[in-house]
Amino acid sequence: MVHLLRMALEKGLLDAVMVPMRVPAGDGFAHMLTREVALVEQAWPIPPVISVQSGKAVANLTRRGKGAIRVGVVMRPCEMRATLELAKLEQVHLENLTLISMDCPGALALRDFSKSPANEISKFERALNEWEERDIRPICQVCDHSNMVSGDLHLGILGKQEDSFPLIANSAKGEALMSALGFDQATETATWEREADKVTERRSLARQSWKVDLKARIEGPDRLLGILSNCINCHNCMRVCPVCYCRQCYFDSEKVKHPADDYLEQAKRKGALRFPPDMLLFHIGRMTHIGLTCVSCGACEDACPASIPISQMFALAADDAQKAFDYVPGRSMRDPQPLVVYKEKEFEEDETHG
Amino acid sequence: MARIGVFVCECGSNISEKIDIAQLIKHVSTAPGVVVAEPYRLMCSPDGRSYLEERIKKEKLTHIVVAACSPREHQQTFMKVCERAGINPYLMQLVNIREQCAWVTMDPNEATEKATRMVKAAIARVRHQAPLQRREIAVTPDVLVVGGGVAGIEASLTLAGPRRKVWLVERSAGLGGSVNSFPRTYPDMQDPRVGLGSRIAQLKANPSIEILTESQLEQVLGFFGNFQVRIRSTREAGQARELKVGAVLLATGAKLYDPAKIRGYGYGQVDNVLTSMEFEVMSDGDGVRLSDGSMPTSVAIIHCVGREVKGYCSGICCMHALKHSTYLKQRWPNIRTVHLYSDLCVPGKANQAFLENDVRAGTELIRAAGIRVAKGEQNINIDFVREDGAPDRLGVDMVILAPAVEPHADATELAGIADIALDKEGFFARHHEILGSSSSSREGVFVAGCAQGPKDIPETVMQAQAAAGMILASLVPGKKMEIETMTSHIIESYCQGCKTCISVCPFGAITFDERRKVAVVNEVICRGCGNCSAACPSGAAVIKHSTYDQIYQEIVEAVK
Repeated sequence: MVHLLRMALEKGLLDAVMVPMRVPAGDGFAHMLTREVALVEQAWPIPPVISVQSGKAVANLTRRGKGAIRVGVVMRPCEMRATLELAKLEQVHLENLTLISMDCPGALALRDFSKSPANEISKFERALNEWEERDIRPICQVCDHSNMVSGDLHLGILGKQEDSFPLIANSAKGEALMSALGFDQATETATWEREADKVTERRSLARQSWKVDLKARIEGPDRLLGILSNCINCHNCMRVCPVCYCRQCYFDSEKVKHPADDYLEQAKRKGALRFPPDMLLFHIGRMTHIGLTCVSCGACEDACPASIPISQMFALAADDAQKAFDYVPGRSMRDPQPLVVYKEKEFEEDETHG
Repeated sequence: MARIGVFVCECGSNISEKIDIAQLIKHVSTAPGVVVAEPYRLMCSPDGRSYLEERIKKEKLTHIVVAACSPREHQQTFMKVCERAGINPYLMQLVNIREQCAWVTMDPNEATEKATRMVKAAIARVRHQAPLQRREIAVTPDVLVVGGGVAGIEASLTLAGPRRKVWLVERSAGLGGSVNSFPRTYPDMQDPRVGLGSRIAQLKANPSIEILTESQLEQVLGFFGNFQVRIRSTREAGQARELKVGAVLLATGAKLYDPAKIRGYGYGQVDNVLTSMEFEVMSDGDGVRLSDGSMPTSVAIIHCVGREVKGYCSGICCMHALKHSTYLKQRWPNIRTVHLYSDLCVPGKANQAFLENDVRAGTELIRAAGIRVAKGEQNINIDFVREDGAPDRLGVDMVILAPAVEPHADATELAGIADIALDKEGFFARHHEILGSSSSSREGVFVAGCAQGPKDIPETVMQAQAAAGMILASLVPGKKMEIETMTSHIIESYCQGCKTCISVCPFGAITFDERRKVAVVNEVICRGCGNCSAACPSGAAVIKHSTYDQIYQEIVEAVK
């Protein structure tokens, strides 16, 4: 991967790259935008943690339009999917970006990493070498899109043969870059497909049982409130979410701030009122707003100071909602978001009659 | 400080017989901001209205709640009272405690309780209402006519005048449409292009008509009296013009069904098999010849080509088929002319005589089924089944096919651009079969000529003049129309430029400002439907008079 990026820069096929790297001070990781080949040599294309979801990073760069230079961006499949969804919402402009993904072994929990980086890195190296789910985040353990090809190029790590990996082009841009670099189109992808399908199947199976278990844990108002009981309304989950793109979140606006008398009235009727109120409304409201675009990247759960399994809860609801619309967020730019698609006949089985 | 006046109408006994008015007034008079709470016997009567006006002025009321009947009945009535009394009509809320309460609730206690909630909710709402200005714009009397054939030309000439401009848009380089190809028309067998030419000359000489050839309609936004249309030139690529018109007339004509779709007719496979239109062109200047250059000695004309597929009778093909044989017999009396038809359709005062003349001149009319056209040894063989059921064969030198008339291939696209419905045959649908035959499904968009359904030239002219008449009667120059007050407004600082609102706006009223990267509502086109407000995740799109605060406060009060 690093080799590919270096060649692209040296041959002038890309003007810059945005790739995860260890930050200069401390142990953290971040996507760095650079054209210094020397720095690119030190990149970690698959870092052990997802710090800032790179869909958000790319939106920062291109929200106001494409830049003047061609940038290659390296991202995990879930970050890629978020990027494509943001492009559909005009928050990312893809024209001068080349999106490069790879098979993802999963990521570690940010909290664990920050406590003991060296330890965690060796755990991650094991996960990367053996491709097993023991140490990765719960949301990654049940990810059934970890090999998704939806950008311009995809590195099929699971199809490793001797020392090379198949490089799969998914667009004219990807193909052009590949041939300009002198790479042949992956002639043999059968191994990659087989290995990738194995991983997807394993994790899909895990996903099914995970859904049943999680549903049992959070079903019904009491259990739901129970699992959210430690929520401190910091809205971190919303802030780090790549597909939460509003300039001002509805749930931060004046609309959810009420006169004291309204709160006193509510408290009177319920007997007691938790403060700040409307915590459940925030989560369910956010679920309604972004549920159809949620890519289960886990950024929210990493950011939650109260250790609430919030990404898992969202993934549970999002899965069923997305299936109802037959929509896979981030699979392709050609899939319009369900909100803007009108069908005269839809969900007739759910209509009430008479 | 708001000074809210609450007026409860007894509506004769309609409301008072179910709702305890005194109780209602007692409970609502304590709501914050209420300074007056009174009953009145019949609020909508002249006395009631003057009383309301007096009270507003005397008590210096700033907001009004009227508890009475349905807004459909008297919203405008009480808004006018507010205007006369000097307060903004949008600071009034009419609560329906008649149709929605007294008339549908059995138990008087429940009815009174419900009415109390409804009125208190209205009081909470009205406190958050903002004054809005009613706006009028002058209707544009100008008209866009799409299609430069007979229908378009006649409509343009009827419409154009010193106070009404007409833009005539035509796809091809010249005017005249299908009639340009007719060297003669029935029943007089004269060249229509002479008359057509003089109409076109009048059109070009008319200073109120602007002709845009090699141009197409690309977009229609707005509504009757106030359309914004975009015309694109196919000549200079990218050149577009935005025009403001009050009405649009679509007169884009039709075409012939392609007989190649039915193999049995031999079109495109057997030599000297032509369509009716191809024969018209060939017969111009008497150039009727076979492909080898010789004169045909016999011509068969086959009717109803494609009729079963299309499912309707095109009405005009029998007559123009008879026109062909009449012409051939007039010009070359010895040519054998035979018609193979399934049914003959010759309505109208002159047409039957036309047919009889042709028969007298020697044209044969054979009722036939199961027609198959194939190359024969000497010329063309037509195998068919006679009326008596026996098979028969005809040998002729030339075959003219009379295909069904069907919509142009791009009629669907044009209907999409104009946002009008198609009927089940694919032509532009009439608003009403009897009473709206030159109106489309969209108010302000009219249809005339074959684009609406197959018809002959006199019928085309009639429909074009009818459409023009509808426009002349309603788009009177100088007339004003009120545009929607309760429109959407997008708050720039909340808008993140995702364009979701633009995708869901049914009226095309929202555009994207590329410089500021925000969506902007065109308040003249916006109809206040609320789709944008519902779709916007940030709450940037706000509908006037249905703001978050107004609705929220109303609900909170109603469910307390």
